[in-house]
Amino acid sequence: MNEISAKRFDTEDISNALNLGLIVVDAVGKVLLWNNWVSRHSGIQEADALNQQLENVFPEAVSPAFLTALKNTLAYRLPVVLSTALHRTPLPLYNASGVNQQQTRMYQSISITPIQSHLNESCCLIQVTDSSTSIKREKILRSHSEILKKEATTDSLTDICNRRFFDAHYEIAVADAKRQKHPISIFMVDIDFFKSYNDYYGHIAGDNVIKQVAATLKSQLSRATDIVARYGGEEFVLVMPHLPQKVAEQFAEKLRSAVFNLAIPHIKARPFDQISISVGVCTGIPENDSNLLNKADAALYQAKLKGRNQCISLPLCEAEEYLQQ
Amino acid sequence: MNHLSDLHLDALTEVFSIGAGRAALSLSEIVGDEVRISVPSVQVVNTEEINSATLSLNSGRFGAVNQHFSGPFNAEAVLLFTEDQALKIVSDMMGSQMSLDELAEFEHEAMCELGNIILNACLSAMADVFNFTLESSLPDYAVASADEILHRLKKGANQPYVMVLHIDLTIEKRHTAGNLVFLLSSASLTNLVAHVDQFLGKLS
Amino acid sequence: MSADSSIKKLLIVDDSKVSRMLIRTHILAQYPEWIISEAICGEEAIALVDNDLPDYCTMDINMPGISGTDAAEKILSKHPSIKIVIFSANIQETHQVRARSLGSILVAKPVTEKSIALTLSHFKESK
Repeated sequence: MNEISAKRFDTEDISNALNLGLIVVDAVGKVLLWNNWVSRHSGIQEADALNQQLENVFPEAVSPAFLTALKNTLAYRLPVVLSTALHRTPLPLYNASGVNQQQTRMYQSISITPIQSHLNESCCLIQVTDSSTSIKREKILRSHSEILKKEATTDSLTDICNRRFFDAHYEIAVADAKRQKHPISIFMVDIDFFKSYNDYYGHIAGDNVIKQVAATLKSQLSRATDIVARYGGEEFVLVMPHLPQKVAEQFAEKLRSAVFNLAIPHIKARPFDQISISVGVCTGIPENDSNLLNKADAALYQAKLKGRNQCISLPLCEAEEYLQQ
Repeated sequence: MNHLSDLHLDALTEVFSIGAGRAALSLSEIVGDEVRISVPSVQVVNTEEINSATLSLNSGRFGAVNQHFSGPFNAEAVLLFTEDQALKIVSDMMGSQMSLDELAEFEHEAMCELGNIILNACLSAMADVFNFTLESSLPDYAVASADEILHRLKKGANQPYVMVLHIDLTIEKRHTAGNLVFLLSSASLTNLVAHVDQFLGKLS
Repeated sequence: MSADSSIKKLLIVDDSKVSRMLIRTHILAQYPEWIISEAICGEEAIALVDNDLPDYCTMDINMPGISGTDAAEKILSKHPSIKIVIFSANIQETHQVRARSLGSILVAKPVTEKSIALTLSHFKESK
């Protein structure tokens, strides 16, 4: 009875209709099965994948953790799980993209189980599920303001994050970028000729300018992964992950023009006679000895030297791969 | 009754230290920092003798990762951490900024993986040293109170023995202690001891 | 050939009795004439070496008291002629680097013919 009902369907049809990725590799890691879901999300057809080494099928690198897990399953016949939480995107799979939208790498949960072929070879079944739907990106990298107490981490004048929060966040965000090998951008922002504003208009007016600039900078942020903090006096700092350098530069310019458009009069600020900011930005994938903050500060210094009310961008390292994207 | 001599326990401790070393290597590749795992002791006790002191279970809730495995001996392996510690380990390993509420969403999956890494490393070390193959289910994760855990351990009448490994785990300067518990039937314990004997026999 | 040059003294440092027995058994199977002594921690090893200088030493890392790598460093600073192999289950990069920086190598446990062969070849390597 069971046999008859089983034969009414072709298992291949079922594997292709599944809303999850199925890949089978043999004992040496060659692909034996590649279902439609995997073709769809990798852009690689079954015919191009079959009998190839799994790690060579994709144009991009497969994560080392995935390869280690696969090797272990093949060697010891023990099942392995790779969680989204710790790996994000082990395989180069992409979410179906909308028109004109940039493809984003799919967040995945993977399990690898040993199976036996009819020929008694030890093979591995790799199951991939899309976890992007259950995890909202902004939730994953949401600022940890809930962990640290709000009042201890908020700047009382401007109501944006304070230096203490920034220091903690910066360390975590850089470590995260280093680990996940994604770029991170640091923006150092300084209000131009602020001391002369204070001297001329008084400290209360000066505080107001700081508040308005802080609010304006904050209003430019829309992703939950991004933060703006008061770095000190009239200096601010922004941390934004996952931006290509070009986009970071455009964003810096957006910050500058947003503040300039406030059109706050400042007759001691030549030649524009109004409040403006200088922005230094540094973007890159951090490595052990890299200091994004120093680089962003150096960029800010250049912006000041070149006459203020402008943005200067420095890459963390000239040869970063993402520059070519 | 106790089947195991000090030498048996020393051999098992050594095998699980090798497992711990492998688990630490895998975890360090994930967190990008040194991870230290040690197995300071292995104990084999009757299920009835087990109490909260054996497992250093104090109050609170525990995260338990489960894998059933079979082969020359069958067992259910349970890795236990207090829930607070489990959350902190996961948060350290993820290295990102997240509230504890959000972390809870990932706890399940990430703990499954952490448990899977430690359990598989211990099983593979046993497989290498004793020269056998084990099969295993995928890991499961549940949160339970100390009482619930003890109740479950004691309820398994056909698994009257437990092998308890105390595990010390240090990830990115955070130190945690947990337990890896193997629930064994009499036959499985006998088989395990036979394998250890065979292994020790090669020494004399 | 004088007997002295082929009879070597080996010190095994490991807190696990089983590991010490395994290493001893494997070595004696190949070199029955070697003289083998044992220490169960780094401190004991340091004291032993001062009294009776061995040619070779295998050193575990995780032991009660000071770590095996620290013990190896202390021993080598006083007795640079000893060849030490770090023989450990802890095989992370940091320890491999540390072992190399001491002029030693890190050999991964378990103790098997293969890992013993690696150990012996390091011992035999001329300085």
